[in-house]
Amino acid sequence: MGGIEWDALLLSLKVGAASTALCLPFAIGVAWLLSRSRLPGRALLDGIVHAPLVLPPVVIGYLLLISLGTRAPLGAWLKSTFGIQLIFTTEGVVVAAAVMAFPLMVRAIRLSLDSVDRGLEVAARTLGASRLDVLFSVTLPLMLPGILSGAMMAFAASLGEFGATITFASNIEGETRTLPLAIYTATQTPDGDAIALRLVALSMALAVAAITLSEWLHRRTQRWLGRR
Amino acid sequence: MIELNFGRKLGALDLQVDVTLPSRGVSALFGRSGAGKSSLINAVAGIVRPDHGRIRVGERVFYDHDSGTDLPIEARGIGYVFQDARLFPHLSVAGNLRYGLKRARGTHTVGWDSVVEVLGLDHLLDRRPWNLSGGERQRVAIGRALLRQPSLLLMDEPLASLDAPRKAEVLPYIERLAREFALPVLYVSHSIEEVTRLADHLVIVSEGRTVASGELSDIMSRPEHAPLIGRYEAGSVLDCTVLQHNDDYALTTLRFADGQLRVPRIDLDPGAPVRVRIRARDVALALSRPMDVSIVNKLPGRVQQITPRDGPYADVTVDLGSRTLRALITRESCDRLGLQPGTPVWTMVKSVALDSRSVGFSRRPRSASPAQAPDLPQKPGAPAEAD
Amino acid sequence: MKRVRLLSALLLCCLHATLARADTLVVFAAASLTNALQDIGKDFEAKSGHTVKFSFAASSALARQIEAGAQAQVFLSADEQWMDYLAARKLIVPASRVDLLGNSLVLVTPADSRATVTLKPGFDLAGLLGDGRLATGDPAHVPVGKYAKDALTHLGVWAVAEPKLVRADSVRAALVLVERGEVPAGIVYATDAAVTPRVRIAASFPADSHAPITYPAALVAGQDTPAARAFIEALRGSQAAAVFKRYGFSIK
Repeated sequence: MGGIEWDALLLSLKVGAASTALCLPFAIGVAWLLSRSRLPGRALLDGIVHAPLVLPPVVIGYLLLISLGTRAPLGAWLKSTFGIQLIFTTEGVVVAAAVMAFPLMVRAIRLSLDSVDRGLEVAARTLGASRLDVLFSVTLPLMLPGILSGAMMAFAASLGEFGATITFASNIEGETRTLPLAIYTATQTPDGDAIALRLVALSMALAVAAITLSEWLHRRTQRWLGRR
Repeated sequence: MIELNFGRKLGALDLQVDVTLPSRGVSALFGRSGAGKSSLINAVAGIVRPDHGRIRVGERVFYDHDSGTDLPIEARGIGYVFQDARLFPHLSVAGNLRYGLKRARGTHTVGWDSVVEVLGLDHLLDRRPWNLSGGERQRVAIGRALLRQPSLLLMDEPLASLDAPRKAEVLPYIERLAREFALPVLYVSHSIEEVTRLADHLVIVSEGRTVASGELSDIMSRPEHAPLIGRYEAGSVLDCTVLQHNDDYALTTLRFADGQLRVPRIDLDPGAPVRVRIRARDVALALSRPMDVSIVNKLPGRVQQITPRDGPYADVTVDLGSRTLRALITRESCDRLGLQPGTPVWTMVKSVALDSRSVGFSRRPRSASPAQAPDLPQKPGAPAEAD
Repeated sequence: MKRVRLLSALLLCCLHATLARADTLVVFAAASLTNALQDIGKDFEAKSGHTVKFSFAASSALARQIEAGAQAQVFLSADEQWMDYLAARKLIVPASRVDLLGNSLVLVTPADSRATVTLKPGFDLAGLLGDGRLATGDPAHVPVGKYAKDALTHLGVWAVAEPKLVRADSVRAALVLVERGEVPAGIVYATDAAVTPRVRIAASFPADSHAPITYPAALVAGQDTPAARAFIEALRGSQAAAVFKRYGFSIK
């Protein structure tokens, strides 16, 4: 395995982990709002959250470009206030991957939140736990299988993200050239087939590993909660 | 004093509560399913908010509509034992027990060791909730609620989802805990059996209203409450003491203010306080002292009140001297015997009718030394002998 | 039996007649030809009655698609290399290959930039870019990128440029980045700079700093249809030449 493959693999893993971590708190928050709150605009929020699932990734990439590019309103503010630049950087890839993976994570987490027995939460409150305490000491642990599922799904989705990444963060070796982008570049280059095939094999191995790990984790946590 | 004076509409049920309960001992809330008992204690717990009124427990006001007070559940200092135990699956038994303990503020009066000992949880501490039997789960639930250092314990039909052997296993623990831990208990049940064994104070709830509230034997002996208690189960409650045992015939003699009762042998030492429930349907009356009959328990008294009921029945209250006994007989027999208030009669109760389900630990406070305290049966389930 | 043969012959004639009347033609062309070819395509459709469908992308992407079996009739590349690539794999009709156009390479900046630069050997590219990047096609496969690399190497600044490169998929993608001001400078064809007011040409690369920019056209092997031939003829005609010149291309 040569330098190109290593760089792409490490970058993909890094981006996958970072985008999953970035999504997690927001996904839990949004899942909560959709499932438990009585916010008036819930249906609209649901629609917006699920947009990346139905829109072409390139469209998402374009929307990111016009809002988070360095000349765009939000992007310019990020650059001047925090010195953060998203376009052409790994951070941008993380954001693109996070946006694409977000709906998957919200769905999985919301399902697990809906299946938490509210009676247990009431019981916790009778034992002296405040609402926030109940969230951390009872609800979240009971949601763990769903959270882990959602995280693994988001990780796997990030590994395969292409359209939004190439449109928003561009294709810069070492910075934004994840495995899918590396494969794409190889297919465009004359005589790049050998590299492309190696990268494809690597991607498939990674995908299988991720899915296997996800299954194993899910079963372990279900057993820990006595559900199997 | 526990003051419950509130109202709340819940769908078809219009809950109107107005009772004052003692701040010590077990107060039972009895009524049919759907009468509103669970909603009542849920309002006390803070799970349900009343539409108006006041809920006061001792010095603390939990809810007061006029002043806008509504303490959140976790601030009320109550312990709640649910019908379905509701143990946390992600914690071990020890973890569940510690949950409330960790969050209890102030001085801790209920200790870990005493709870584990009283409820027999020692060998269960490392297990997970799904590995426990129904009875074990309820015991852990009770322990968890106790370790929360509550100033009031609420129990919503804790035995309802258990089968008969499990019920018999857990009931003694509940009897013991109210005594051991000296805290007021609100006990919801639709089983008169449980109520008579556990309660000091009885509240009858019917169609959302608290229709009767008073000392247990007093309420039980009033004929006007018979329809609410249920014809099958209504009767009297007598507090007795164990006098002696007859091992040849496996009988125990109990003594009370107005005489003696012989019952199938119970496993208690002489001097132990016992409570006996005598179903009205098991009491027969005679004008003269019955001779040559198999019935062992014969107690003289005077007819106090006769209440005809629908169908063939008549409810007769007999004054034994210091206690009353209720008898359910036919109206025909009433007329035939010419029974009137004041008529001297002999009451008869079959010993066989006073089975283990009718005899239990007394709820009276002991003046005797702890050495005379009844022990728990060695094997949980032992009292459930053939009925 | 005789009647069946007569019927099928008649059917085939009718089919042929209808097919001969209005063909659909698919043309794969380099991205830089987008505007010009769209105009030319409209004229051609009006005159010939055939329908033309274009696919504009980097020549590299298009060549690889044709290699994979894409159903295109005509291929217009932005450099000889990708046409050679297909020729080596016998994927074009050699006799139909013709060099059509030329172009020139320019350095562009966003329209609101005041930067000036003289393109002489060793010019201060680092100063021009600051901490921003230089957008152009991917030198690994996109023609404009290869020309850019040649030019920058010739001027001795490739080592400075390489780490700061944004390797876009096509020349138009690079152009968009400059338009949006996401990069302080980009290298595109002069014809691309001309179609948008949102970039300005900061300097032109001398023609000798890179290989001559040539746009060859050819028929794809096995796709030799009358409509395709007619289209290539039209491309070489005077009307098309006028359109190309209007957009800034040079005619070979």
